[in-house]
Amino acid sequence: MPPTPPAPQPSPSLRSSRSSRLPGATGVAGASGAEPAARAAGLTKVYGTGDHQVTALDEVTVEFARGRFTAVMGPSGSGKSTLMHCMAGLDPVTSGSVRIGGVELASLNERALTRLRRDKVGFVFQGFNLLPTLTAAENIVLPLRLAGRKPEAAWLAAVTGTVGLADRLGHRPAELSGGQQQRVAVARALLSRPEIVFADEPTGNLDSRTGAEVLGFLRDSVRELGQTVVMVTHDPVAAAHADRVVFLADGRVVDELHEPAADAVLARMLRFESRGGGHR
Amino acid sequence: MLRTALRNVLAHKARLLLTVLAVCLGVAFVSGTLVFTDSSAAAYRAAASKNYADTAVTVLPEDPPPGAAADRSAPALDDALARRLAAVPGVTAVRPSADGSATLNAADGTPLRAGQAWANLAAAYVPGKDAKDPRYPLAEGRAPRNGTELAVDSGTATAGGFRIGDLVTLATDGPVMTKRLVGIVTTQDPRVTAGGTLALFDRATAQKLFASPGHYTGIDLAAAPGTDPSALADRVATVLPAGRAEAVTGAAQAAQQTVLVDTLTRGYAKLPLIFAGVSLFIGSFLIVNTFTMLVTRRTREIALLRAIGAGRRQVVNSVLLEALLVGLAASAAGFVLGLGIAAVLPDVLSTAADPLPRGPLVIGPRPVLAALGVGVGVTVLAAWLPSRRAAKVAPLEALRAAEQPPSATRTRIRGAAGLVLLVLGAGLLVSLTGVKDASVANLQRAMAGCGILVLALLVLAPLLAAPVIRLTGRLTDRFGITGRLAGQNALRDPRRTAATASALMISTALVAGLAVLGNSTGQALDRQAAAGLGADYVISTRTPTTGVDPAAVRAVAGTPGVRTATAVADSTLVAGGHVRQISGVDAATVNDVITLDFVSGSATGLGPGRIAVSRTLAREQGLRTGSRLAARMGSDQALRQYTVVGVYQDNPVAHDALGARTEVQRHAYAPGSVQRVLVRTVSGTASPVTEARLRTAVGRNPLLTVQDRQALVHEAAGTLGNLLTLMYGLFALGAVIAALGIANTLAMSVSERTREIGVLRALGMDRSGVRRMVRLEAVTVAAFGTLLGLAGGLFGAWEVGALANGAIAQYTMVPPWGTLLLLCLVSPAIGALAAALPAHRAAALSPLKAVAES
Repeated sequence: MPPTPPAPQPSPSLRSSRSSRLPGATGVAGASGAEPAARAAGLTKVYGTGDHQVTALDEVTVEFARGRFTAVMGPSGSGKSTLMHCMAGLDPVTSGSVRIGGVELASLNERALTRLRRDKVGFVFQGFNLLPTLTAAENIVLPLRLAGRKPEAAWLAAVTGTVGLADRLGHRPAELSGGQQQRVAVARALLSRPEIVFADEPTGNLDSRTGAEVLGFLRDSVRELGQTVVMVTHDPVAAAHADRVVFLADGRVVDELHEPAADAVLARMLRFESRGGGHR
Repeated sequence: MLRTALRNVLAHKARLLLTVLAVCLGVAFVSGTLVFTDSSAAAYRAAASKNYADTAVTVLPEDPPPGAAADRSAPALDDALARRLAAVPGVTAVRPSADGSATLNAADGTPLRAGQAWANLAAAYVPGKDAKDPRYPLAEGRAPRNGTELAVDSGTATAGGFRIGDLVTLATDGPVMTKRLVGIVTTQDPRVTAGGTLALFDRATAQKLFASPGHYTGIDLAAAPGTDPSALADRVATVLPAGRAEAVTGAAQAAQQTVLVDTLTRGYAKLPLIFAGVSLFIGSFLIVNTFTMLVTRRTREIALLRAIGAGRRQVVNSVLLEALLVGLAASAAGFVLGLGIAAVLPDVLSTAADPLPRGPLVIGPRPVLAALGVGVGVTVLAAWLPSRRAAKVAPLEALRAAEQPPSATRTRIRGAAGLVLLVLGAGLLVSLTGVKDASVANLQRAMAGCGILVLALLVLAPLLAAPVIRLTGRLTDRFGITGRLAGQNALRDPRRTAATASALMISTALVAGLAVLGNSTGQALDRQAAAGLGADYVISTRTPTTGVDPAAVRAVAGTPGVRTATAVADSTLVAGGHVRQISGVDAATVNDVITLDFVSGSATGLGPGRIAVSRTLAREQGLRTGSRLAARMGSDQALRQYTVVGVYQDNPVAHDALGARTEVQRHAYAPGSVQRVLVRTVSGTASPVTEARLRTAVGRNPLLTVQDRQALVHEAAGTLGNLLTLMYGLFALGAVIAALGIANTLAMSVSERTREIGVLRALGMDRSGVRRMVRLEAVTVAAFGTLLGLAGGLFGAWEVGALANGAIAQYTMVPPWGTLLLLCLVSPAIGALAAALPAHRAAALSPLKAVAES
């Protein structure tokens, strides 16, 4: 790769520039023309066989640029979750190509896929999915410990500080509110400085105020830490926090918006749903 | 209701399968044992009835009425009587016999199956009209014709390595004899097929040995077909001399013989039944655990049922019905497995010296009923507790998401109950510290204490789980995050963890306790025997009613390499209603061959009317040196006063009391005889050469044993061999059931934590990490059970040891470190092994499970 894409493992200089939280430091990842954080080309996913075949994704081609916050929207059954699962290496694709940080997922075996998820992908789930037996701090460092690495103290402090959890680190998930749990999950996703963070309906189980808080943290991580975030949602208000919204319907990319406002997103959504793309 | 239960059972096939297996093992042992005992009893009975098939009536000398012992000098069974009997209507054949016992030496010079007299039969070969004895068909050679010849049965010939023409050494009750083997016969006598030997002499020799010349010990009569044996017995009785002979039917004799053989072999059922009990006890924890987990899992479903109007009773019944179905399946499977056990048990329990009779498996109604009763009973009983819990599920819980942790009150109640039991059990055991002997009452107290202690451990286990697993967590944490997660998972439901670990806990406690006691007792017996015995060899009779003949004592004394040979006469001393053993020794030489440790007094004062007593006997009778004891010695009918001249530390060689040999011999059962010869060698050591010389000196008499110190010690510790078998058997059984339990719990945990495992996989834990996590959890649970069991077992052994300390002076607790270490290593390995399948299933889970919102 001639243009020398950013190393998958963050370099020390990058690390220090990120932890300094200077807005200008995001320039490296934000540069256009570089290899995107993730890219799908001709991605097709078919479930079932014979008469029961369902095409969840139909020749989807989409790129997620570095340092950007992208929302994937669409009505139920549009394939947005499937897109996320396939791009995160959780679900094998039927045909087409998925690349994360320049690595083609199809070429990876189970073990290498696991390692890729561990090192290059962060997850935020709708149901928080924290390990109930571990404290908040242990949950945050879990992916790093799975990789056998030690978290860097300054970076850990920066991340936990950003999500505002510094004083709740010793608590178990059961002792935290929903919003706090999701903040722990966000911190967990950010700590390993992944290539890309996939968030699946991160505000689905939260009330609007705490939901907005979590979305704020995701956006800050993009702005201040240079993180790449892809969020699947069906909530136009949530999507409005993103830099860009990709609309999916019937397994195809049908539209996209840049720097959207909530009402614009809503208008677009309504259009797709009234077109009969949605099932509700 | 039945359909619901059936559907539930089918829905949890895999889970219940493990439970079924555990119950099945217990049932298999119960039914297998019963089928085995029935079958072997039937085999004996078949053999016995065959033997008496052609004997309608037997004429026996009548036992003299009690008190008229002197009037036995008039034998009634002679050839004249036999001729008179032949004339009785209905009698077709008369076969007189002269039976007794004879112990043989095998071809290699060692006593052949020597033991109780019943096992070493001797009889007369009485030729009939065709010059053959129909009871003993000749397989080889010919019948013995004079006092220098004998015949044996084919089993004895094989076991002893005899061939026709060999010279066989044997003894009946006195000095050794040598006879030439001239014939080999076959016999169906159950006493012989059950593991005895048979020697046949010619009629005159047998009469001389077992009756008196010209007389018999019994006369068998055969009857014409269709003759009623009891009517014949009545007719026969009319020709018998009154009061000197009686007629007994063959059927009655066969029945009597079967009873005898049954009592002799009853012990064989004990060991398998212990296994059955233990496996059912441990298995019941598995059942409780499984049903508790199933009920917990179905809380919502049950709550829903309750919400739509199902009564508590109906909920309880549905759980119990499910247990009933599981119990039925387990009983059926266990019964089939039990038949297999019954088929192999004879091989397992038989030894070359102690064979069991063979026959087809006999399946009576008893084992079938027992299998059903035990299997269904235990399962339903064990499921009763979880069913109560199911009934307590409130309809509202259908709406509640998370399961409730046990309330603080319940925990407190559990803690209090556990502590009370612990104090009670420990108190019972501690109260034994001061006791001096292993009396039945004390043993029962010890057993009760151990039982309560086990209960306390079971009750407290859920509370102990957290601290203990935190401790073991320090070790598992070394495996990184997988170890940390494993430890935390084991801590998640302490009650479940404790229940799962209980099987391993109980078996470890049992085995650890037995191992410590066995090892300590063995070593103590070693020390005691070694400490008490000053002699290098002990020559003794196998039975107290026979003696070492004086010629043999002289021969031993004259054997090269022997420094001294001291004869000891053994007899009984009845004092205060207790029968004690007294050894008659020579005051001048006793210290030379028995190492006596006198608490007070000394052996020098021994003489007629003057005895020394062991410390135990002194304590029992409240004796001190100088006090007097009223007692009866041996065959002496009179109660006499004996002066105590000394009290010595318990000594297995000296027995309970020491007396002057002349006095003990005077009252011996075989007057003038001695029962033991204690030998000191010139070199002060034992050697094969000396031993061979000593054996030769006593004429290789099979009734006498020649033992060096080591052999004596070995004999004293002989019973410990059984304990060892029991111990390892119990542990293996406990381990199997524990493994089933661990596999069961983990499978349940894995299916409950599907999403969590998915999250870990999504976050980057690879498959081997998931497997390791599940395995480490199993190891943690196993280690918890082992640690608790070890603690309980060692404490129990320590406290029960106090009991042994009173009985055996040299007892100190000596833990068999090797065995204990092995236990500690094997248990976690069992855990890891049991986790194999659940771990595999967990690793196969897709990371998508985490993100697929349900």
